[in-house]
Amino acid sequence: MAKITVVTSGKGGVGKTTSAAAIGAGLAMRGKKTVVIDFDVGLRNLDVIMGCERRVVFDFINVIQGEARLKQALITDRRLENLSILAASQTRDKDALTTEGVEKVLDELSEEFDHIICDSPAGIERGAHLAMYFADEAVVVTNPEVSSVRDSDRVIGLLSSKTRRAEKGEEPVKPHLLLTRYDEARVARGEMMKIEDVEEILSIPLLGIIPESPAVLKASNVGTPVVFDEKTPAAKAYTDAVARLLGEQLEMRVQPGERRGLFQRILGRTA
Amino acid sequence: MQSTSARSAATEPAVANKRLQVRGRFLTAVALPVGGAPGEGYLAALDELLKQSPGFFSDAPLILDLAEAEGLDAQAGFAALLDGLRTRGMVPFAVQNATEAQKAAAAAVGLTALAGGREAALPRKSASPEPEPIPQPEEPVSTTVLVTEPVRSGQRIYSERGDVVVVGSVASGAEIIAHGNVHVYGRLRGRALAGVHGDETARIFCQSLEAELIAIAGLYKTSEEIGDAFAQRPVQAWLEDDALRIVPFK
Repeated sequence: MAKITVVTSGKGGVGKTTSAAAIGAGLAMRGKKTVVIDFDVGLRNLDVIMGCERRVVFDFINVIQGEARLKQALITDRRLENLSILAASQTRDKDALTTEGVEKVLDELSEEFDHIICDSPAGIERGAHLAMYFADEAVVVTNPEVSSVRDSDRVIGLLSSKTRRAEKGEEPVKPHLLLTRYDEARVARGEMMKIEDVEEILSIPLLGIIPESPAVLKASNVGTPVVFDEKTPAAKAYTDAVARLLGEQLEMRVQPGERRGLFQRILGRTA
Repeated sequence: MQSTSARSAATEPAVANKRLQVRGRFLTAVALPVGGAPGEGYLAALDELLKQSPGFFSDAPLILDLAEAEGLDAQAGFAALLDGLRTRGMVPFAVQNATEAQKAAAAAVGLTALAGGREAALPRKSASPEPEPIPQPEEPVSTTVLVTEPVRSGQRIYSERGDVVVVGSVASGAEIIAHGNVHVYGRLRGRALAGVHGDETARIFCQSLEAELIAIAGLYKTSEEIGDAFAQRPVQAWLEDDALRIVPFK
């Protein structure tokens, strides 16, 4: 049975799709058979971030509506054979998503894959609701910024009440906090929220801190998940996050910038 | 004529200031099915049921279920049935699953026709031989709503008859609404409304007041009016002389 993880946030533009792609690729690099599904019907971009937008023939909605088989819609990543993508439809909208349809697709994917990553759209409407509904775990992507934190808080509340696990009284969806676009220099100047403040408000375990990085923009324009650019701090942070997602205990790294000398890196390690 | 109107003007009470509060109420009603053409046989079967559980129907809000009933589309039939029921201490107030003709006949004897509603467990077991008191559940339950997890943005915690106690923080964008007091063993960042049904003695307690709004019995203060003086300090708020007082604990 696959583990279903939703990457959600509430707020838009905080790094859900980037993180979903990076986490999906990270898991595949660790040998796990992984599929990433784009739930943002009508505004799809997972395929662009992953560099397969020129190979999309059939999409998630086609499969739900029986117009195509799952095998026809799944796109295998050219760089990692363990990684597959199920793109969203661009011409339809979220009304085409149905609970039964989504459940059927997830069940079929569970037979073949170890991990299913659901890339949620922003907001708390149908697409976001269905992306989280069948989840076992959740990665709540948050920027260290007040409106993002408040929206994430709302989503965490929904994870504990509007998911199948909550409705059936099963073990609750396990939430993880992924802090993205973190800039230590701005925190020092008092322009950005501190990690401790975000953790205090949201009270869920911290999965990772992804630094603000030009590598992210480059990666999305090139269509390569950030983790492939292995030397960058963002890639390392995502790799660490994936390790923690798989249960490993790792020290949290907080990187201020792209280039740090060995000396600074030793001194700068925080628990 | 003039004196009459002057008198009536003088006796005009100052009721206008008090708003009529209409409240909803949940009750469990008993649905009594009426089978076939209700005659002596039906009433005899009822007597059997009442012998086994004498107090079952007393004071219960009773609805007649006409799904299987025949006839009863004339007022006379209904009146006879009601007589039979009333002599046995059963007073129906409505019918359900009635045809149009039955509805009209029911209305003529003062019974309304109900649409919605759903199945619910009966408050008392019908097999009990002891005469049971009013079937409405009167178990002594605590009226306090206790929450032991942080209250997330967008969530609303409501205590209809008592206090709300939150062991944890209340996030910005959450609402705590209580008939009585509000206690937050954590940071209060959202809204807290105490004494919502008019209790002016209700209080709000918290370990750090960073609320967007607090209100007691309708009188409120927003975050702007509260200011920053009380953040990070345990405080209580109450009404005094029609004003909200916020005082930190020593």
